This record gives sequence, C-alpha cells and structure tokens, in this order.
Amino acid sequence: MKAMGVEETVPKEVERKSMFKLTKLKEFCLLLLHYKMSCIGLLVVIGITILATFAPIIAPKHFAKTDVPNKLQPPSLTYLFGTDVLGRDVFSRVVYGAQIALWVGLIVVLVQASIGITLGVMAGYFNGKLDKIISAFADIVWSFPPVVLALGIVMVLGPGITQVVIAIALTSWPTFTRVTRAKVQSMVNREFVLAARAVGESDLSIMLRYLLPNITSTNLVLATLTLPAAIISTTALSFLGFGAQPPTPDWGAMLSEGASQLVIAPWIATFPGIFIVITALGFNLLGDGLRDLLDPKLRV
Amino acid sequence: MEKPLLEVDELKKYFPVRRGPFTKPDYVKAVDDVNFYVNKGETLGLVGESGSGKTTVGLLILRLIDPTSGRIFFDGENFTEMPKKEMMKFRKRMSIVFQDPLASLNPRMRVKEMLKRPLVVHGIKNEEEITTRIIKILEMVRLGKEHLDRYPHELSGGQQQRVAVARAIILNPDLVVHDEPTSSLDVSVQAQILNLLLKLQRDLNLTYLFITHDLVMVRHVSDRVAVMYLGKIVEVAETDELFSNTMHPYTAALLSAAPIPRPEARDVKRFVISGEPPSPINPPLGCRFHPRCIYATERCRSQEPQLINLGENHLVACHRAEEIDISSYSRELWKIMTKA
Amino acid sequence: MDAPLLAVTNLKTYFYLSKGVLKAVDGVSLTINENEVFCLVGETGCGKSVTALSIMRLIFYPGKIVDGNILYKGMDILKLPESEMRKIRGKEIAMIFQSPMKSLNPVFNVGYQISEAPIVHFGLSHSDAWKQAVELIEKVRIPDPDLRAKSYPHVLSGGMKQRSMIAMMISCEPRLLIADEPTTALDVTVQAQIMDLLLDIRKKRSMSIMLITHNFGLVAETGDEVAVMYSGKVVESGSVKDVFKEPLHPYTQGLLRCIPVGFERKTEIDYIAGTLPSAIGPPLGCRFHPRCRYATEKCRGQEPQLISLGENHLVACHLHGG
Repeated sequence: MKAMGVEETVPKEVERKSMFKLTKLKEFCLLLLHYKMSCIGLLVVIGITILATFAPIIAPKHFAKTDVPNKLQPPSLTYLFGTDVLGRDVFSRVVYGAQIALWVGLIVVLVQASIGITLGVMAGYFNGKLDKIISAFADIVWSFPPVVLALGIVMVLGPGITQVVIAIALTSWPTFTRVTRAKVQSMVNREFVLAARAVGESDLSIMLRYLLPNITSTNLVLATLTLPAAIISTTALSFLGFGAQPPTPDWGAMLSEGASQLVIAPWIATFPGIFIVITALGFNLLGDGLRDLLDPKLRV
Repeated sequence: MEKPLLEVDELKKYFPVRRGPFTKPDYVKAVDDVNFYVNKGETLGLVGESGSGKTTVGLLILRLIDPTSGRIFFDGENFTEMPKKEMMKFRKRMSIVFQDPLASLNPRMRVKEMLKRPLVVHGIKNEEEITTRIIKILEMVRLGKEHLDRYPHELSGGQQQRVAVARAIILNPDLVVHDEPTSSLDVSVQAQILNLLLKLQRDLNLTYLFITHDLVMVRHVSDRVAVMYLGKIVEVAETDELFSNTMHPYTAALLSAAPIPRPEARDVKRFVISGEPPSPINPPLGCRFHPRCIYATERCRSQEPQLINLGENHLVACHRAEEIDISSYSRELWKIMTKA
Repeated sequence: MDAPLLAVTNLKTYFYLSKGVLKAVDGVSLTINENEVFCLVGETGCGKSVTALSIMRLIFYPGKIVDGNILYKGMDILKLPESEMRKIRGKEIAMIFQSPMKSLNPVFNVGYQISEAPIVHFGLSHSDAWKQAVELIEKVRIPDPDLRAKSYPHVLSGGMKQRSMIAMMISCEPRLLIADEPTTALDVTVQAQIMDLLLDIRKKRSMSIMLITHNFGLVAETGDEVAVMYSGKVVESGSVKDVFKEPLHPYTQGLLRCIPVGFERKTEIDYIAGTLPSAIGPPLGCRFHPRCRYATEKCRGQEPQLISLGENHLVACHLHGG
C-alpha cells in the first residue's frame, strides 16, 4: 500500500487521548495514579538498593552472629524483627539478604539478556533455517523446568547460590529471545535497514549499529520486569534447599528455615517473605512505568 | 553509441506464498520479464500503481533482494550473481532514496554518524577528509552544521529527506534510484526536494531511475518513461512522445485518471477503466490488462503481447496498438499540462 | 439567493495540551450551498480535518470548540444537545474518512454495517434494511452485491472498502457528505473511479459534498467552490474557476506554482520557502508572513481579515486591503 502525503485526522499529539471520551477529571486521576504507582516502585527499588549497598552500616548485627540464649524472641527494640532458631537477628539477616537478592537478580538478568538477545537478533535477522533452529531451541529450553536443571547441577556441584543462578538463567533466557526476535523481524525490512544494506554495511555492523540500539528500550523494560521473576525463582530454589547454604542470609533460605517454626515464631519467615513481595512488586511497578514512558516515544 | 549505464534483461522476481505445509506454494509474480535500459545522465521514470512491481525493480537493481532469474548490467558488467565482496565496488556507484524519510533513517543515529557510515564502510577513514566531505554534502543539500548533531525525529520531513539524499550522494555515485521520494511530503516541501534533485543531477552528472505513481511529477523529471502493469512493462517512450502519442490503453487510463490542477482539464473527455489492479499472484492469461480493457479481443485473452518498437524508440506491448487511437485522450491533457 | 446549507462563522477549535494551546482552527468561516462540491484545501496541520470534525461535533478532550457557530439549515448545531446532534450525524450530515481500512469494523459483514444507520435513524426492520443495503452496494458499483453484502471487510480491496464506506454514509440520504481525503490511500485509477462515483451520487441525490484534500488536481477537476486554509485560518475562498484563474493570496499562488505543471521539463519549479508553522505558537500578525515574499511591516504586526473582492472571491491579505 502506498502512502501519499498522509494527514492525521487530528493533531498527532492528541490522537491517542482524544479518542476516548474521558472527562478532564477522570483522565487526571488515571494519570496521577499511574505515575504514583511507578513512583512507589521507584522508591522501593531505591530503598532496597540502599539497604543492599549499606547493609553493613544499617544492620545492627552481623548476619551470622548467633545469640543462642535469646533464640526465638519476638520483635523487640534490640531485635527489630526478632530472632531465629540460633538467636540471629532477623532484621540484620533480612538487610544482608537484600544484597544477595539484588546481586542474584542482576546476574541472572545479565546472563539471560546476553544469551537471549544475541540469539534473538540472529534469529530475527537471518531468518530461514537459523531462525527455525534457534526458535526450536528456545522453545525446548523454555519448557524445561528449572528445578530439574537445578537438581542436576546440585548433584554434580553441590548446593550453592551460584548453582541456583546458573539454573535459573539458563532456563529463562527465551523470553528475551522471543521479544528481541519479534522486534528485529519488524525492523529488518524497514527502509533504514535496507538503506544500510544498500550502502554496503556488513551483517554484523547492521546488527550492532542499526538493530541493537533500537531494541534497547524494549529490552530495558523486559529486564526490569524479569528481575523480580528472577529473584522469586531463585528464592524458590533456595527455599527448596538448592541454593544458599547456612549461614548465608538468602531470603528464600530464611523462608525455608522459618517454615518449620511458623507457629511458634512466625516472624522468622514472615519478614523475609514480605521483603520478597515488596521487592518484586517494586520492580514490577517501575517496569510498568518505564514501559509506558518509553513505548510511545520510541516507536520504531 | 555509448552503452547504457544500467541495463535490465529478462528480469524476474517471484515471491513464494505458502498456502499450507503440504500444498505447493503460489507465486507472487512481482516482476515478470522486465527489460529496459537507462543511459548515462538521463532520468528514466518508472510508473505504475500498486502491484505493478516498480518498487521491487528498484530493490532488485540495488540487489537488496535477489532476482529469480534475469540479468542486470551496470556499466557493462553483469553483476546479477556477483559475490558480496565484489559487489562493494558497485555499491558505491549506486544508491537509493526511499519514500518515507523518517523510516529510512536510523532513529538512533545522529545525522553526522549517518553521513559518516557510507564513507567508513568504503574505506575512507581519515577524519579530516570525512569532515570535509560531510560539510560539502550538507551545503549541497542546503542543510546547516547545526543539523549534524540531531536525531531524525528532531528534523522536519523535508530536512529528513535532505539527509537521505545527502547519504545517497556522499560517495559520488553514478546512479540514484528514487522510490517515490516526495510522496510523503507536503506539497510545498515536495517542490523544494524536487528542485534539489534536479539541481544535483545537473551538478553531479547523475543518472536517475525515478519510481513513482505521480504522472504529473514523472512528466516533469523524466527524459523517458516506462509504464508497468502487474509485473510487466507495457509501454516505454520518450516523455513527450508517451504523453502526446499514447498507444497502450493502460497508459491512457493512467493519464486520464491523474488529477491536473487546471479547471480546463475538467472538460477533457477521459478514458476511464473499470475494476481494480488484480493480485499479482495469479495474473490473467494472455495480456494481463485484458479484463479491464474495452478493446480486448480473443487474441488478447489468450496470447501475451510482446514489447514492440512502433517507431521512434516507442515500445508498446499491445496487440491492437496500431489499430486503436487512444492518444486523443492523453494529448489534450498533455497540452494543458505543458501550457505555461 | 437560497439560504446556504451550511454556514460556519468564526469557528475556533483549540486543543489544550501540556505544552500549550494548539489552535487547530482559529476563526474559520465558510458557506456551503445546496448541491455543491465545496473543497477545503491545505497542507498538513492547517486544520482542515479538525474543521470537519468540528462540524460533526466529534471533538473530544483535550479538544474543545471554543467559539463560533455552525448553522445547518439555519439551526446552530453547536448549541444542540448531544441527543439531538446524534439525529443529525449520519442522517443529515455524514462523513467518510481517509483510511477505509481503519473505518470499517472488521467483525461485522459489510451488509450489516450499511444497515445500521437506517435501522437507527428510520426504524427500518432488519430485513428491509438489508435489502436496502444490497441496493446501495449495487449503486456504488460493487459487482455481485448479494455476495458482497455478506463479505467481511478484510476480503475487500481498498477501492471496494471505500465504496462500502460511501454506501454506509449515504444510506440515510444525507444532505451533506464530508469526505476527508477519501482517495489518498488508493491507486490513481481507483481514485478516478471513486471521485466519479461521488459526483454521480451527488447529482442523483442533490447532495452537497465537502471535499477535504491537499491535492489541487482534485479540486480543479471536481470542485465548485474552494477555500484554502493555512495555519488554522481560511486565507482565500471563492469559486474554483476564480481562484485558479486569479489566485490572490501569496500562499495560494505559491501552492499552485509548486506543482510541476506548465513548467519546462527538468527546470526548477517555484517553491515556497520555509516550513509550516507550529500550531501552538503561530507567527504574530499574518501567519504566512515569514514565508511571504511580499511581507511588509503591517503584515508582521496585524492579522489580515477575510474581505470580499467581488463575486464571492474572499481573501485575507494586506496586499488586497485585508
């Protein structure tokens, strides 16, 4: 279909909004709500990052310091979140746990993104056989349960945080591949890529200079949204015992430890649990906001 | 006689369309046995509606897509099956300008970078030389240094197209393919870009292949015009000859349909055809235009007409070209178009 | 002289955006008579589409019609309550848009969509409305009307979709049909057919057409009256013959000379320097002055008014005493 001097029916700036018959008040409220949510998300993320960075300063006690005489104490002024089975300060452990959670999340996302985006760009750009192979591979990996892989790795290497990270990262990169592949496919026949080929740019150059920069926004949003999933997945595996070993204050491991004490000392599991939820929620809200902010402006 | 700069021989491009995993694919016969040439320094206008294959021809010439069969000669050399490495020396001798300027520029690259890339890709690495050439090209397309640091979405439509043109000529090519270069622009901007293209052609001795559906524009810029319908060329001639002495019914219909901004044109009798351009997947047998042609005979329905020279380098693919007189329709309009 | 069918006086439609007030239509006046083809012509952003939407009262937040009146058959439709306006939309004044692909509902077949308006406005029964729909499909020259009525929009070609839109819009015999760039997205031979069809319908039903376009060729070939818009205002209006023969406003002159007709081949054609102004902060005084070769001090300071230079030829330019 050809396009001749197309005119928008209504000024571009208002096209999206004026199509809905919203009253001024309603629109304002929705906008405020939306921004509020993303702001809350941002604050949570900043908060958790501060906790993680300054853990040694914020936490009153070292996470491994035991105080057996004061074990299983409810929250008090000295022990803000109470103590666990070995008298360790739950609050300090939760704070140190933020370090682990963030680190783990970041590394998982980095590994996911590296594998996923590379394969996605290749699949989308080259099409044909390579595309089919990569897509099939991605589908197989995606349907592979992380727990099984974790089990396998742990059997060989023994439990540990790194093992969990590997297991999660290696089974969840297909999301990045799918999204990237779709985006690349939509761009590969656009005129600016054709123009680049007409100039004589090599395939690699096109992928690096023309395609990659145009998918960063999408992938950034995806990263903010997969980070909480990574955190939750790793905490789940830690809960099952594959991950952090005591005394590492991994939130998932703390949940596991606290599960057995749930009736007599619910604070041991509850506080890490709350923090897991808040962190995941925070990143999700931030990701949503980012998506809405970046999406319409960077319509490639 | 000097050999043409560009020559296209029996060019075909069929796109397969898979109907299902077990059925044989259908083919979109986008370009079906097209022959033409373009001499150095001239402008060949390639006209047609949607489905005619004109854009595909442009992409084939730049070898952005590979032909199904046929040959393309550039400056005498057959480069249809040339390997990529050898193609590079040809890539700098030809370039393309697209219809939608915003879509043809990398949204994440500044103007400076976009103009630099062609130079770097073709081995010019000296910073000083790069800067000199970029500044010179900016002057030629009437853009300023302040535009160098901008991103495409920070420029107006006309400025974007100027950048696209600058990128196309920065390596001093011989041939530039224009695929509807002004269609997305406002009327007042179209005129600016048109003038720019004409001036550049004169100053840099460029050869143009001008692909468009706008007959008024093609009359103004082309030395010769080729009309395409459903993957085939139906008529080729020098511009004035084509417009004043039209021989193919489709060309006459196209001319009749083009709105001319002169109220006198209203009184001219028009040659209106019915129906719409059919799909290039299963083109009609015989002459592809016959279902819409009021002059169609049995022969037209069964036998495909060849492009024959009917005098003065005027080629027509129509069985009845010599019997019917449709030039009367277009001649009146052409007179109105050319009257100052 | 007969009272005009539609008389727009000093229409102002503004959009309230975060970056400022976008004065899309800033004091537009025009009249459309019965049985007339009126062309509203201009480039992108001049406000011609917003004018049409204002007439149909299809302006939503953050847009607002802030001033002016629109008299349809003597009645100010800007003052009507929405329920009354709904009786006018589709029945008295109808509108077809540029992209037929976007205007047809993909989940209903064409016959159903054409039947909708008569059922709502005239209370026809479904079967009667369907019969009428098939007749209309035939009237818009779509072959096999019975079959086509049951087709869904995605199987139709661009030209057929636009014809279906036309059938939909004339189903209630409106007195005024607004066509916003109805042929821009179509091939040129199909364009000719559609314009031919519209003019034929107009003649048969004594309907007026308001044609919005940027293509002067269409105006010359189909229009009776024309109004040229620039930056939210009408700068010149009159009969097509007068405006083309003797364009008075420098913008009109410039636009007409921008088209490569009547120039020697491969020579430079005239052009208008500069670019279109932003509708948020248009130039003071005459909006065209930054691009006008005749601009004077007066042009920079004072906005010209639309005045009549005899025989219904109006122009807003200080050169002509505006």
